[in-house]
Amino acid sequence: MCTFWKHVLRGTFSFLALSFVVLPGCREHSPDTAPVTDVVTLTYWPAPNPQEVAFADTIVRQWNRLHPRIQVRMQSIPVSVSTEEVLLAAIAGGTTPDICSNIWPGALHEYTRAGGLLRLDRFADFDSVARSRTPDPLLQTFRSPDGGFHQMPWKTNPVMMFYNRTLFEESGVELAPRTYSEYFAAAQKLTRDRNGDGIIDVWAGERDIRPIWWQRLFDVFPFTIAASGGRTLFEQGEPAFATPATEGVFAFFQRCYAEGYYPHTYFAGGDPFILEKKATQFSGPYLVATLQSLAPRLRFGVVPLPVPDDHTGPVHTYGDYKNIAIFTTTRYPAEAWEFVKFMVDARQDLLLLTVANQLPVRGDLLTNRMFAPYFEKNPMIRSFAEQVPYTRGVDAAPDLKELFDALSQEYESCAVYGRKTPSQAVLDAQERIRAIVDWNR
Amino acid sequence: MNAHSHTDTPRHADRVGYALVSPYVVFFLLFVGYPLIFSFVLMFHRWNIVTPMEWIGLRNFERLLGDPLFYASITNTFIFLFVHIPLQLAAALGIAVLLNMNVRFRGFFRTLYFLPVVVSGVVVTILWQQLYAYDAGLLNRLMTALGAARIPWLVNPDIAMGSIAIMATWKNVGIYIVLFLAGLQNIPSELYESASLDGASPAARFFRITLPMLNPTVVVVLVLSTIGGFSLFIEPYVLTGGGPMQSTLSGVLYIYYQAFNFGHMGYAATLGFVLAVLVFAVVVLQRKSVETEGTV
Repeated sequence: MCTFWKHVLRGTFSFLALSFVVLPGCREHSPDTAPVTDVVTLTYWPAPNPQEVAFADTIVRQWNRLHPRIQVRMQSIPVSVSTEEVLLAAIAGGTTPDICSNIWPGALHEYTRAGGLLRLDRFADFDSVARSRTPDPLLQTFRSPDGGFHQMPWKTNPVMMFYNRTLFEESGVELAPRTYSEYFAAAQKLTRDRNGDGIIDVWAGERDIRPIWWQRLFDVFPFTIAASGGRTLFEQGEPAFATPATEGVFAFFQRCYAEGYYPHTYFAGGDPFILEKKATQFSGPYLVATLQSLAPRLRFGVVPLPVPDDHTGPVHTYGDYKNIAIFTTTRYPAEAWEFVKFMVDARQDLLLLTVANQLPVRGDLLTNRMFAPYFEKNPMIRSFAEQVPYTRGVDAAPDLKELFDALSQEYESCAVYGRKTPSQAVLDAQERIRAIVDWNR
Repeated sequence: MNAHSHTDTPRHADRVGYALVSPYVVFFLLFVGYPLIFSFVLMFHRWNIVTPMEWIGLRNFERLLGDPLFYASITNTFIFLFVHIPLQLAAALGIAVLLNMNVRFRGFFRTLYFLPVVVSGVVVTILWQQLYAYDAGLLNRLMTALGAARIPWLVNPDIAMGSIAIMATWKNVGIYIVLFLAGLQNIPSELYESASLDGASPAARFFRITLPMLNPTVVVVLVLSTIGGFSLFIEPYVLTGGGPMQSTLSGVLYIYYQAFNFGHMGYAATLGFVLAVLVFAVVVLQRKSVETEGTV
């Protein structure tokens, strides 16, 4: 026994000693870094998906070549249940990187409450950099409750309506619906029993009937933004969505279930849009690549979300934003800010489009000639780019997951089961959300 | 010398005694004492595990009083108990009485009824999910084959909790059959002989002798079923996730969601404390109302 433990201890000490000797040695001989004394090294965490890692790798190489004294080390966010959990754990442990480009605005409150993020408007040129890229009304939606900016708006995935052209043509629906009435008229034709066995084979649409909080980011929330002309759930820190617009959205989905246009079940065994069991789907631009690779024969189009019949002006929607932030643990805030500015430069935005197929939050996305060749090659993505100026993010409120959970439950009671009127469900949701927010103050 | 050795021996014995109980003391302090004290401290804090704790006084209790989901989860738990406990008592007692008779393959049947108790709760729940499935579940296929309408076992908010109660009864009935069998075997046979001689019918013997003599076992089964019912978790977590319309959200499931879905450790501790007080109150009431004189 004693000999065994001696061996274990000796082995452990040898390994640790070797690590101390070898690892720093490896670092010193890395070809990308200059002598330690002169060089500032920043750590940058991009999202762990392959496209973004490829993009991050490209820009870090460019930066390191151009800035020998400020070297950036790229390491994708450690894989976990969610980026938010990893970042919160890193903030608690003081192990955050200098920069991260996968900041979901919905989790920003948790990060700032934990004192994890640096205010970016402390840098003198923040305003000019941010405003030159992002339209001001949109930029203001990223302001933190303390009045500052802790994030640089970076990329967005606007939620739009995909529709199956073949199913539309088969049903005699010529145009994609733009309003609720047009949607119901189309839904009546689209929902049908194709083989006459008494069972519906094609549905106008379908949503997961379980009250899963993030599902609301693809139906109630973007529809509310669209119906209200760009308003979200909160106004000046208070829940303020019990409006006719939100009630109309709840009523819209309630009717979809009540009239049988949406099934009261969930599909197992594959995406019903890919399987051509439903004619419409609400999703972001990432679905384009998925459809093209998994269902190359599927003919589809993309249009803005349906809006109330009396709606005027552009159609807004939810943009699933991912932004850039600098953490308070950085020893080199000025250098980190320089790298952030480099990341949001037009040339890097072009790379974001071409390498990762993701839309930068730019006002000139469709007017800047630099991006024109990309959109000529990718006309479907152009539809999403047209939506970018009219996208909104989630509110900077605490506990967004629980807030959307409460909203989901009221939506379920009203729309899926028809047990509450739209006005009652919306009012109850607002009251429940207010209670959660008050508890968090 | 003698006196010296006399004083030494007990001290040595004390030390050995302390050494022998120390594993339990350490276990108790680590896994019972510390969590209990920590959860009491948590009740007055807001804490999401990763960021520092924040003292919020009684606000967790304030929130609980105005939380519709808390009331819904408690109501659901009582609905579960309302279906589950009578079903459990009747099934366990009925089967125990049958198994106490001179039936063939008695040992085999006793083992068979106990089997679900030793099978993992998650496995049992997944099996019942296949039985209860609305479109292609075995039960609904049977209903369709018989020409009846399909039953929305788990997708109708009005009957989902009842479906879970039936499943929980099937899972747990074995343990209560064993308790009732032990109780039945403790009833002196002379009582039945004497009653038979007096002309008492089988029903009279059951209601006048068996049931009163089983009262202590009934109390135990009632208390254990109630406590088990209040800790309902695996079944709704796996089968329904608390839906549809929160109709199967049990007290413990809600605590789990608050703690591990939303990171509200302090609020979850408060919910746990209130639930524990509620269980205690219900069990005391039950004992007072069911226990008869002479019941231990």
